[in-house]
Order: sequence, then structure tokens, then C-alpha cells
Amino acid sequence: MYRYDEFDTAVVRERIEEFRDQVSRRVSGGLTEDEFKPLRLMNGVYLQLHAYMLRVAVPYGTMNSRQLRRLAHIARVYDKGYGHFTTRTNIQYNWPALSDVPAILEELAEVEMHAIQTSGNCIRNVTTDVFAGCADDEIEDPRPWCEILRQWSTIHPEFSFLPRKFKIAVIAAPKDRAAMRTHDVGLQLIRGEDGEAAFRVFVGGGQGRIPHIAQEIAPAVPGRDLLAYLTAILRAWNLLGRRDNIHKARIKILVASLGIDAFREEVDRHFATLRREDLRVPDDEVARIRAYFAPPAFADLPRTSGAFDRASLADPDFARFARNNVRRHRQPGYATVIVSLKPVGGVPGDITAAQMDLVADLAERFSFDEVRASYEQNLVLPHVRLDDTPEIWRRLAEAGLATPNADLVTDIIACPGLDYCSLANARSIPVAQALSERLADLDYQERLGPIRVNMSGCINACGHHHVGHIGVLGVDRKGEEYYQITVGGSADETAALGEIVGRSLAADEVAPAVGRALDRYLEVRRDGETFLDAVRRLGADPFRDAIYGAVDAVA
Amino acid sequence: MKIVTANRLSDGRVIYAGPSGEPVEALDRAGRFDGEAADAALSRAARDPAIFVNPYLVEVDGDRPSGRDRFKELIRSRGPTVGHSLGHP
Repeated sequence: MYRYDEFDTAVVRERIEEFRDQVSRRVSGGLTEDEFKPLRLMNGVYLQLHAYMLRVAVPYGTMNSRQLRRLAHIARVYDKGYGHFTTRTNIQYNWPALSDVPAILEELAEVEMHAIQTSGNCIRNVTTDVFAGCADDEIEDPRPWCEILRQWSTIHPEFSFLPRKFKIAVIAAPKDRAAMRTHDVGLQLIRGEDGEAAFRVFVGGGQGRIPHIAQEIAPAVPGRDLLAYLTAILRAWNLLGRRDNIHKARIKILVASLGIDAFREEVDRHFATLRREDLRVPDDEVARIRAYFAPPAFADLPRTSGAFDRASLADPDFARFARNNVRRHRQPGYATVIVSLKPVGGVPGDITAAQMDLVADLAERFSFDEVRASYEQNLVLPHVRLDDTPEIWRRLAEAGLATPNADLVTDIIACPGLDYCSLANARSIPVAQALSERLADLDYQERLGPIRVNMSGCINACGHHHVGHIGVLGVDRKGEEYYQITVGGSADETAALGEIVGRSLAADEVAPAVGRALDRYLEVRRDGETFLDAVRRLGADPFRDAIYGAVDAVA
Repeated sequence: MKIVTANRLSDGRVIYAGPSGEPVEALDRAGRFDGEAADAALSRAARDPAIFVNPYLVEVDGDRPSGRDRFKELIRSRGPTVGHSLGHP
């Protein structure tokens, strides 16, 4: 993985000193809250309901064991002993004191981490496929390009005060495992006509109160021109985007209002005037960064594993874990293991310091010292030997981290909601927990197959409810929590927005209603048809009827 | 009746203005104010930015927040309702 050079180190160190001074001036009264707020946000510090919240960047979701142990240490020393992984593959701490933040940033810098641009109106942490470097369908590992984007976008003078935040995702396979088309810019790495890396570019995706799926703006931008093309996109938006209304400032609104063709003309106009040679990444620099992401020293192993097969036959619990949480690796004899942060009744994405230490130990011993954070708010051990999966499973199970539900209905994506967030209208976590407990039967979950439930506590949609196969949105009705349900959304390569099925439901009605929709799916599905396929074939009506039939009967 | 609430500058924790304007951590120790006295209490807190960040008024009925944001204010006063920080404001 990438290691800081002297420039990275200097940038991070200087930023810490700058922020230490800003905190000092804030505490001594030299800065008002209005003056301080944009400064703290650019360093990942929010002021939430109960305390400050610090969001730490995990660039493209990749960490080593030393970094994960440091995150555990910070949770233990400066917080309440746990952290929360987000859909942006970052980690959030819910309770740090402002006065401790400079010290926390020092601790992070020692392991080459920071919180820069995890908030504010700038280019945020670039995300990618959690199976980068493991998946057998990828063109090449997308992370070197993510790292190039990280370096280019960090404290970029032109793009540090954008109309709103700006999010980029990069994938390198036809299968989209990074919700790429829900981003302001989505990049799909392909092979150009010259055989070199090129990018299919999508623009104008986003969620929030006015959701859009990104549209294709360019079919194949050569890798050498990527930074110039992104500069043209950002420049067009920076100049034309609205700054008068926070809800209409995202690039998706500009793209939708101009139309993709007119926006493309704007971008092309800027692209034509840029000094492209200044923005071209030198080939040797691309090669240098690619070298950091070279595949680890895999052993030459047989495709199958006796230890794996024996454990699968001997222990049904391991067999279930293997079915759901162990994924094929492109290297024979290896696998990728999903560490579920979705125990039944747990808080989606939460992990204790002790659990972080355990995952770090497993990564160091079994996974070439690498661990990933996923869009789905889980962790992943990317490169483990099939032979080792039984032991990894045992150790995960001892720590409560072996819930075999990856991509099943209890693998719920959820924002922190009104339990923590000052923007939320309703709680997310208790509703996710009620769903998780109601649907806990793993035989039932496996019978249902892959279903993504997404839960947001307000229309800002941090839980990505618009693209959940089943989406749940918390709303405020005269001071009471209510929840709106959507079906048919998708965050993958068939990205789509869900359809609202009807009026919002009281909190205690949500889990039974979703349960009825799932039972209806089992009744109506054809052989091999997923929930999403069934919704697409039948429309929302059968599920609407299931959701509201019982509610209306009681009413 | 109304109370004044804010987040504390140093650590962000929920605080309230006590009867004399001093910061207190428990809602039941907050000063109750009515009419112009509430506005005055809010102004007093706003003049103490080294302690009170973004102070505002909350309607209360006895020791419970009332009004439109009553549920949010109840969670602020008691801490998260779930998870690793259950009941730890």
C-alpha cells in the first residue's frame, strides 16, 4: 500500500500545526464559532448532538494493521472505546473533546493518516471497490488512480471552497461494488483503444433530497488526461453551480438543469483551454504509485484447500460463514473474508477498540498486513489463504465479528441518525436493530438471498436509502418519528432510485412491514429471481399491498 | 417555560444555563425562564462564547422538553438511546 513521501508528511504535519493554532484561537476567543466552523470542518471535526465528532479518512478504504491498531488506541484513549465506519469508508469518533483533537491528529500522522477533507465543501475521500486487487473481474487495481486523485485533490487551491462537497468513486470492473453512480463523479477504469488505462466518466450522481443517478459524460478519457478532465468538470461546476441555496448547490443540480449534453459542452470548452501538459501525470509517477499497490507475494497454491473443505463439511456454522462471507480471490488458494460489523441487534458499522485490535492481528498474520473498510460499513481481509479461513472464522467468532450475513438482509447500511446527528429527524439505529432482530433467522435470510436495506435518519440520505433494495427514511411528523419505505433502489451497475410505496409508518410498524414485503417476495418470485429482479418485474404494487394491507386492516 | 441550551466549547457536551446563567450539565438543573427573561438568559449565554456554543431556547414542561423538537432535546439531555454510548450524555 501507499507510503507517505516527504511531501505528504510535510503537508499533514503543517496542517496539524495550523489546526492546533486555530483550536487555540477558538478556545481563547480569538475566533468565533462562525469563523471556526469552516476551519474545523476542513479537518473533519463536526459539532453533533452530544459532542464533537471527528471523521478520519481511510483513503480508498485501505489500512494496515498498525493504522487499525492506532484507530483502536484513539477510540480507547480519546473516545468511549469504539468507532463507527461509514459508507465513505471513513471512521468516525463520536465523543472527542475539541481540546484533544490536535493530539489525535498527531497520533494519526504517526501512522500516515489524517482527517483532512473528510468534511467541508471540498473533494472528499475517494472511494473504490473493496475487492480491489482481489477481484477476478477487474481491469487493474484502481487504487493507484485513487491515490493519484488523493494527492491531486488534497488542499487543491482551486477546489477548496466549492459550492458544496464533491465525492468521487473509482471502479475497475463491470460489476460496481462502490455505488459509483451515486457520486458527483464516478470513474470506471477501462482499457483505452491504445491498451492503456482510460476512464468512462459519469457525472451528476448524488443522493440527499434531490437524488440523481450519474450520467455518462465521456466514454473513454485516457488516464494521462484524467486530472485535466476532472479539473474541467470541477471548473465548470465551480463557475456555474449555485451557491445561493445549499440544497441546489451540488453538481447533480447543475447537470440536471443544463442537461448532460450542454454540461458536456461546458466541460469540453474548459478542457480545450487547459494546459493539459501541466496536469498530465508523468508515466514514471504512475509507475511509482502503481508499485505501492503491487500484488503481495502470493504463494503458489492449489485452487482448492483441504482444510477449508474439511471445516465446511464438519461445521455447518463455518460452512454458512464460508457461503456468505468468504469471496473468491483471483489468486488460486486465496480468498477474501468479509468481517461483518452487523451483528444481530448491533449498531451497523460500529466496532470496539478490542475488535479493531483483533482484526489488525488477523490482517497482520493472515492477510499481508492489509485490511479494508467497505461501502457497506464492514471490514474486509483482502488476501487470506483458504487454508486459514477456519482459524480466522474461529477468532472472529470469539470476538463477535463472524456474523455470516454479508449482503443478506441484515447487512443493513445505516447512518447514526438522531441518536448522534444534529441534522437527523429520526433515529436510524433502533429501527435497523428491530429489523435485524426480526430477520435474524439465518436460514430465512439465506432463503431471501441478497437484499440490501438502507436506513437514513433524514433526507440528507447518509444511509443511502434512495438506492437500497429496500430503503427506509426517517421523517419528522409533528415531533414524532415516522419512516417512509422505498423499494427497487440499487447502488450497483444497474443503479436506480427506489420508489416510495406510500405514507410513512410509525417506528414500531417498520420491521413488521418490511417483513411482510419480504414474505410477499418469497411468494411471488420466480426461480433464481432476486428481490430486486422481482421488484423490477412486478413493480412496487405487490410489496405496497403487503406493507400496507395489515396496517390498514388494523386501522 | 423555557431553558437555554448549547454545546460546551471545550468538549462539545450538552449544557444548559443554570438559574444564574452558569453552565450546568443536567437538564433538571437548568434555569427556567419566561418571556423577556428567556431572551435575556439567551443573550447572557451568547455573551459567554468560551463556554456556550450556539445557544438557543428550548420549551420545557416540567423536566421534559416540549415543543416541536422535544424528542431531539430529550435525546440530547439523556444521551444516545442505543449502542455503545447508551445513556452516556
